[in-house]
Amino acid sequence: MTRPKLLKLVLRNLFSKPATIQYPREKTIVEPDSRGVQYADLSKCTGCSLCALECPADAIQMAPIPEGYEVPKTNPRRVYPVINYGKCVYCYRCVKVCPVNAYIVTSLFNIAGPTKLSSEGFSLGTLKKV
Amino acid sequence: MAITKVVEIPIVTVEVPIGPQHPALHEPLLLKVYADGEEVVKVEINTGYNHRGVEKLCEKNTFYRNVFVVGRVCGICNAVHANCYVRGLEQILDISPNCRAKYLRVLAMELERIHSHMLINAVMAEIVGFETLFMQIMLDRERVMKAKEILTGNRVLADYMMIGGVRRDLDEVKRSKIRELLLKLKPRVEYYKKVFEEDETIVKRLIGVGLLSARDVTRHSMVGPVARGSGVRIDSRASDKYDAYDEVPFNVVTRREGDSWARMMIRWDEALESIEMCLYILEKLPRDGNPVPDERRLPRRFPLGEAYTRVEAQRGELVYYIMSDGRGSNPYRVKIRTPSFNNIINSAFMYVGLSLADVPVALTSLDPCISCMERVTVIDFTKGTRYSVPFKQLARCSA
Repeated sequence: MTRPKLLKLVLRNLFSKPATIQYPREKTIVEPDSRGVQYADLSKCTGCSLCALECPADAIQMAPIPEGYEVPKTNPRRVYPVINYGKCVYCYRCVKVCPVNAYIVTSLFNIAGPTKLSSEGFSLGTLKKV
Repeated sequence: MAITKVVEIPIVTVEVPIGPQHPALHEPLLLKVYADGEEVVKVEINTGYNHRGVEKLCEKNTFYRNVFVVGRVCGICNAVHANCYVRGLEQILDISPNCRAKYLRVLAMELERIHSHMLINAVMAEIVGFETLFMQIMLDRERVMKAKEILTGNRVLADYMMIGGVRRDLDEVKRSKIRELLLKLKPRVEYYKKVFEEDETIVKRLIGVGLLSARDVTRHSMVGPVARGSGVRIDSRASDKYDAYDEVPFNVVTRREGDSWARMMIRWDEALESIEMCLYILEKLPRDGNPVPDERRLPRRFPLGEAYTRVEAQRGELVYYIMSDGRGSNPYRVKIRTPSFNNIINSAFMYVGLSLADVPVALTSLDPCISCMERVTVIDFTKGTRYSVPFKQLARCSA
C-alpha cells in the first residue's frame, strides 16, 4: 500500500492553529461594503412607496410615522418603509430604486435573535423628536 | 398504453430506498434501488420533494422582481440563472451592456463555477469516506467565496446581474484583492487535482464506477461535465460565445473515460481553466464606460416579444424561455430548463450492475441539484386547486 497523499498536510495541521474562529467571541471579518442591514433615512424619504412595490420578497411595508417626530415637509403622507429583516433577502433593490437615495447601507449581518427585527428603530432614529 | 419494455425483477430482489432523507444525499431525492444481493438490478428515480413553483412565481411578479426570484432557483448557480434571465430581457428590450459589464459578468460566473466545482469535489470526498479531504477543500473554497464577496457584496447569493450591465463596479483595490486570492487558490486546486489523481482511496472508489459511454450521453441528452467526461465536446460558452466568452480565451476540457473519476477530474480541470479566465479578466478589464446602469431609469414597460437564452451553468446547459405579452409589467411565461433535470432523471440506466455502496458515488459524480429540477405544477382553474405532478406520472402520460 502506498503512503496516503494527504499525510503530510494532516501532520502539519496537527501542529498549526485551527482554521475556524470562535464565532460569537471572535468577530467574522466581512467586507465593509458587503450587503448587510439597510434602512431608510427619514430626513430624505418622501414616502413614495416605490421600494415597497419593487421589493422581490415583499419585506417592506409602508407605515405611518408615529406622533412626536419632526417629519420633513417632503413627506406629506407621513409614511415610511419598515423592512422586516426576517423576510428581507438583502438584494438592495430598494437601495437602488430609491429616487431620493434615502437608504443607508451597512455591513451589519449578525442580527439573528429571539425578537422579531425590523428597521423601525433604525429609521425612526434618523428623525428628531419634537 | 402499449408495453414497450419489460424489466424482469428477480423475486429475491430487495428494495432499498435511498432518500428522500439520507446521509449520502444533500437534497431530497428518492432513488428506489432494487438489489439482488449487493448488485443493483434496477433504479427508479422519484422527484417531487422540493417543488416550489418558481415558474408560476415568475408569472406573478414583475420582470424586475424576477431578476432576484430566479437567482433563488438554485443557491450555488444563482449568478448564471440571473444572467440567463437578464440576457433574455435584454433581447426583448434590445439593450446591450458595455464591454466592461460583460467582462464583470463573466468574472462573477467563473468565480461561481470554481466554488461550485470545489464544493462537489469536496462532497465526493465525503461520500467516499474521506472527511479530511472534504474539510481541506472546503477551507480553501473560502478563498473564492471571499473573492465573490469582494466582487458582488455577498458570499453566495450574488444578485449581481441587472438589465444593461451589472450592479456594482470593480475598483483597483478590489481587483488586486481578488487577484491575490486567486493566485493563492491556484496551487491548492492543482494540489487537490493531484490528490484525486494519485490517492488510493479515491482512485479505488471512483475509477470504473458509473460508466457512461458517449453514445449513452447523447441518447439521454446529458449535458455539462457529465457529457464532457464521456468525450462529448458540448459547452454553451464555446458554442454561443455569449457575454465576453468570445474574447476571454479558454479550453473546453474533455475526457474519454466516462466514469465517475473522469467527471470529477473534468471539474478540477475546469476550475483551473476558470482561475486562468478570472486572472485574464482582472488583467484585461476594459474601461469603456460605467458598467452599472441606473436602475431608476431602466424601461418600465416591456414590448411584445419572446426570448430564448442559454448559458453554461456549472452542471451544464441552462435554458430560459421568456415571453412578454406587451401588456403588463409581468412576464406571460418563464420556462426554465436546468441541466440537472436531464442529468439526474435520465440516469437510471447508469446504476444497473453497480454495487449498492457505489450508488451514492455515481449519483454525486453527476452533481445533482434537486431544487433546480422540480418544475411541474398543475393548477385546476375550475376547482381552484393546485398540485404537483411527479415525474413518473408525467412519463406515463407521455408514453
